[in-house]
Amino acid sequence: MDNENIVYPALEVHDLTVAFDRKPVLWNIDLTLPEGKLVGIVGPNGAGKSTLIKAVMGLLPLSSGYVKLFDQPINDVRKRISYVPQRESVDWDFPASVLDVVLMGRYSKLGLFKRPRKADYDVALDCLKKVGMEAYINRQISQLSGGQQQRTFLARALAQQADIYFMDEPFAGVDAATEKAIINLLRTMTEAKKTVIVVHHDLQSVTQYFDWLLMLNTRLIACGPTSTVFTQQNLQETYGGKLTLLSDVGDLIRRENFPNREGVTRKVL
Amino acid sequence: MNSLFEFFSFADPNIRFVVIGSVLLTASSAIVGTFTFLHKKSLVGDAIAHAVLPGICLGFILSGTKNPAYLITGAFITGWISLIGVEYITKHTRIKDDTAIGLVLSVFFGIGILMLTVIQKGGNASQSGLDHFLFGKAAALVGDDLIVFGAVAVTLLIAVFLLFKEFSLLAFDKEYAKAIGLPVRWIDLVLTSLTVLAVVIGIQAVGVVLMAAILITPAAAARFWTNKINVMVLLASVFGAFSGLSGAYISYIAPAMPTGPWIVIVISTIAFISFFFAPKRGVINRVLRQRNIRRTINDENVLKTLYQLGEENKDYFIQRNKEEIIRRRRFSPEALGKILQRLENQGYLDKTSKHWVLTEEGKARGQRVVRIHRLWELYLTTHLNIAPDHVHDDADTIEHLLTPELEVELERLLNYPKVDPHKSEIPYS
Repeated sequence: MDNENIVYPALEVHDLTVAFDRKPVLWNIDLTLPEGKLVGIVGPNGAGKSTLIKAVMGLLPLSSGYVKLFDQPINDVRKRISYVPQRESVDWDFPASVLDVVLMGRYSKLGLFKRPRKADYDVALDCLKKVGMEAYINRQISQLSGGQQQRTFLARALAQQADIYFMDEPFAGVDAATEKAIINLLRTMTEAKKTVIVVHHDLQSVTQYFDWLLMLNTRLIACGPTSTVFTQQNLQETYGGKLTLLSDVGDLIRRENFPNREGVTRKVL
Repeated sequence: MNSLFEFFSFADPNIRFVVIGSVLLTASSAIVGTFTFLHKKSLVGDAIAHAVLPGICLGFILSGTKNPAYLITGAFITGWISLIGVEYITKHTRIKDDTAIGLVLSVFFGIGILMLTVIQKGGNASQSGLDHFLFGKAAALVGDDLIVFGAVAVTLLIAVFLLFKEFSLLAFDKEYAKAIGLPVRWIDLVLTSLTVLAVVIGIQAVGVVLMAAILITPAAAARFWTNKINVMVLLASVFGAFSGLSGAYISYIAPAMPTGPWIVIVISTIAFISFFFAPKRGVINRVLRQRNIRRTINDENVLKTLYQLGEENKDYFIQRNKEEIIRRRRFSPEALGKILQRLENQGYLDKTSKHWVLTEEGKARGQRVVRIHRLWELYLTTHLNIAPDHVHDDADTIEHLLTPELEVELERLLNYPKVDPHKSEIPYS
């Protein structure tokens, strides 16, 4: 992997292990991502793609390792981070309009107690235009189609005007034309030195969409410029079946209530 | 009428206390309850309500008086402990939260009842009235209570006003709130404290057992009427206040009637009315919409059948009787009679003694249904590679559903085809 030549990394992950109910789902991930790139994360179902971005954002407890964004601990740079969660992660039958949801993207800038100002509305409307949702500003969110919900989430993330974007399958349920439009949008963002990290499913479009690629299957297979890492051998290793031994050891750790690291005192019940 | 005038003049200070107290309680609980409801923590409200009882008893035992300050402090503490208990159980064992809530609720309530019984048997004269906390004592509210209620209500209102956008975001998408760096734990803590506070105050009016009703029911009722969160909060508080007011009034005109339970009956009635009659989300509206859809399907099926009969000899305006229609497509004769009558009223059919004939409009509508049916069949076979013998039933549904815009789109996509997969001609007007 040619990580050596990254001078100013947007994201640095060191020896990251994440476990659910003690069973590790990501093992010892080490990676560095440069600034201003459109990065894809690919891997089979259950490879830990969503887990990786959630762990990086500090939404999941780490069993080991650390994460640095822009060479700083995550909590010091929260305002520079934006997130597009999976569409199914929320209950869309919530009393809110499209505009209400997009305005949520402004909350971290606004701070506690304050109401959105005129300027925040301007940003929200502008972002809705960018994703082609300006016709649905006042639409109740439960009445949106899947693709429209996805674009609403995207507009919310854009409204944050962050420096690094984590997107969990932003193209799920989006039609081909919209997908193209969104990719173009992401590209203009990376040209403006923003870093965009996208969990992606469709291998067909990988070379066309992403500058960098992160190939994952419970461990890191490869991370680097798409042109160099998107090889037959890496694909084979990523998709060529599970490492059964690894998964069995994980199950064993859970069954035996073993700590993931020696010396880590586990909370007992 | 006289009693109504007397009541609403608020000349009697007792009435004033009861009314203001009840309204403050119900309205502020409803506002906090809206967020408890949206956070999907309705059951938690019930757990807290039951868990404050031991705290009240403990406050009494330790202080020896019924001074509300001690009782409220005790209630607040055990209310909080119960929540920590629920969270701990769900986090560290395999027990799911509904079971954890049930466990905590019954254990705390059991301890509370036990302590209450001990106190009552203990012979302390000042204990009388402590059991009001079980079923409430709204009718016995006095001036001192109002000061406490008022202070708490104002606190709740200010907190909700200040943290409105944070509470909304957390209810909708907590992960996102965490990711963008909102102090989620802190905000959660505030909301939970507000819920405990609302419950602690509310039980003095309606009691432990009925508290969940005034916390959650106004929000549940309000949800039926609106899709805007601020309107929902406002509506819930109005519903709450109205039930508080009516509860007080009912117990005034019929002194044997308890205020608290009446508050709950009124708010429940509002909820039932909302459930059935609210536009869009109400049950009756849904039933009506379903019925309209069924009618449309039946009507269009008859028009389609008449059109298809006409196709046989290229004459769409032949007089047909019921038997001819039924031979082509199965309808029960009575139902068919009603449908034909309806179509005649709508101007799609003309009737002569025992025969019906399509009007121009009727023919156009029947033709449209046939056209969409055949276009859809073609679409399924050409674009989805479905075998031609599998597409009919699907098209039977779609033909009634497709909007004119989608119809145009479909025609364009298929490039105005002449025949469907079964070689039937696709009719264009």
